[in-house]
Amino acid sequence: MQSMAYALFMRLLLVEDELEIQDFLKTSLADEGYEVDVAGDGGTAEKFASAKVYDALIVDLGLPDQDGIDLILRLRRQGVSSPVMILSARRSVDDRVAGLEQGGDDYLTKPFALAELLARLRNLLKRNAATSSSPMTLQVADLELDLLRRRASRGGELLNLSPQEFVLLEYLCRHAGRVVTRSMLLAEVWGMRIQPDTNVVDVHIYRLRGKVDVEGREPLIKTLRGVGYVLKER
Amino acid sequence: MSSKSDSKRLHSAAWRISLWATLAFALGTLLVFAGLHQFVANDIQRRSDAWLSGEVGTLGDVAERTPKDRLYHRVVGEVAELASREVPNRSRNQGKENDSVFFLQAAPTGPAKLWVGAGDGEANLAAIRAQKVVPDVPFHLNVKGFPKPFRVVASPINDGSFIYLGLSERDELRVLRNLRTRFLWLGLLIVLFGFGIVFYTTRRMLGHVREITEAASRIGESDLSRRVPTTGQNDEIGQLSRTLNRMLDRIENSVHQLHTITDSLAHDLRSPLTAIRGKLEMSLSEAGADPEAEPMIVSAIEELDRLTEFLNTSLDVAEARADALRLTRTEIDLDEVMRVMMDLYEPCMSEHGLRMQLRSGGAVKVFADAALVHRAVANLLDNELKHLPASCTVTIGLQAENEAAVVTVEDDGPGFAAEVKNAMFQQRVKGRNSSGHGLGLAFVEAVARAHGGTVMASNRAEGGARLVITLPCVQESQERSGQAVAAEIG
Repeated sequence: MQSMAYALFMRLLLVEDELEIQDFLKTSLADEGYEVDVAGDGGTAEKFASAKVYDALIVDLGLPDQDGIDLILRLRRQGVSSPVMILSARRSVDDRVAGLEQGGDDYLTKPFALAELLARLRNLLKRNAATSSSPMTLQVADLELDLLRRRASRGGELLNLSPQEFVLLEYLCRHAGRVVTRSMLLAEVWGMRIQPDTNVVDVHIYRLRGKVDVEGREPLIKTLRGVGYVLKER
Repeated sequence: MSSKSDSKRLHSAAWRISLWATLAFALGTLLVFAGLHQFVANDIQRRSDAWLSGEVGTLGDVAERTPKDRLYHRVVGEVAELASREVPNRSRNQGKENDSVFFLQAAPTGPAKLWVGAGDGEANLAAIRAQKVVPDVPFHLNVKGFPKPFRVVASPINDGSFIYLGLSERDELRVLRNLRTRFLWLGLLIVLFGFGIVFYTTRRMLGHVREITEAASRIGESDLSRRVPTTGQNDEIGQLSRTLNRMLDRIENSVHQLHTITDSLAHDLRSPLTAIRGKLEMSLSEAGADPEAEPMIVSAIEELDRLTEFLNTSLDVAEARADALRLTRTEIDLDEVMRVMMDLYEPCMSEHGLRMQLRSGGAVKVFADAALVHRAVANLLDNELKHLPASCTVTIGLQAENEAAVVTVEDDGPGFAAEVKNAMFQQRVKGRNSSGHGLGLAFVEAVARAHGGTVMASNRAEGGARLVITLPCVQESQERSGQAVAAEIG
């Protein structure tokens, strides 16, 4: 996979009791190059977490022996500071989850897109690893974004983007080489957790593509059907 | 919400009850007094009449027996004078001149033969002669020059003349007047006192009712674990609050059960859905070499996503129908939401040949579940995208009206079809050509309802559909609690 090098040496703890989900998550995470330990319940998870240091935890809230949130809070008290990706089959987001999310963790409601889980996980790991060294420019191939002046250019030629299109492109650039799903774009660019059954996001991408991938240049924005989009790796 | 006007209304209810009770009380007292007054008046008159009859008999006797000589005047006069001193009901502080009694002897015609009393007796005689007199039956006599009438009894004597004994009703009337005055003050005091007691008790009672009402209205809004206050007494009010609390126990129980059912339903369906989706996605990345399988897998994933969305929305609608939708409220500015929505949907709309415009009068803040509000608005715009023919205009309006945020989504398209119009907000009602799952508007209505708002759908007179969502605006108390929550999280 494209981001293999990035994920190398990352160790994850997956806490999930459903065998089917455990199975495919473990396989796909391993495919991505992560080293994954799997715990089927909270007790096992605690043992794992006290024995090893993990780069991130993936915790399902509905565990057979205890509530996932309680497990996370207990681990936090025991000094486990790794970011947590919460998986929830619950209908509404618990206030406590909302609180945790503010602490830098993330959550996904089941069923989720695998690509989205991987993308968010990468964000989580990157957020954890990289400190606040925010560059003034972003560059992917011959595409260059000036974050201060909010201007984008392709091969030195200025692109005529609306402020909103710039935000969208910036997000894609920051996640260059990684899949971003429609719901990620909706949540991060527009700040909405909605699932429209129309192609609202796609139209934004088409328009952006019309401006960025001009004739004679290498196409940068690719569509992954049923999953989302990816901007060519830098 | 309107505790001020409630208290006013209940206050006036207490007032009204007290007024009516007092009126009934006063009327009753008045009737009793009227009876009493009548009885006393009759009794006094009976005594006067008895005295008059007795005295007139005695005087008649004396007048008959006394020889009609020059001493006659003196003898009869003194007897009459003596009798007048034993007048019943007589007040002690009367002046020396005794004008409350007169004695008159007169034939049917001619001047008076004998007169004892105040004045010359001419007026009295004239008054008596003007009246038809039955012997030995007391009668009223109004005499010129005397403010109060006399009670008079006539008795014939053997010389063919009559003797008349008159007793002024002045003392009798004075006694009755005293009685009335005393009663008036005492009655007024009693009635006022009664009014005070009734008002105080009803106010106290209704105060409990008001507390119950206030508590009950708070319970309905979101928190089902609260209970109405109980007085600890076994009266009607106490029973009312206990019954309400038992009812709330049952409601809380049912809602809890509903949550358990929807949660476990969601969980039981979501886990296999997650597994299926994951496997499909994995096979998609592995099927890179097999271009024939890819479209099928992609469409399976899309179908799965629609199924998931349907599941979520169905459960939301079901919970909202039962007033059991769980909300995570924060303060949100609808103006901002609408602007972002415009921004998000405008390109897609213009791709469909639709125009979109926003009419907003500035920030309108509501205390609501942001995710639900976003989904509801997105639902409406998705609807427009799916159903409007090209070259129509979608207008989003936002304004604050009477402490409520009013969101209007209207278009100049064909409007709602008659077949769906009446059942618009019911689950699974959709137009013939609709490709959705028929939950869109039901969901919007559910969200509005859960926030204490309303949705109205209609066809515009000038053509096109109009949807009006009303949500209660941020109240000051909510604003404060919202900030408190924000502070806690932050």
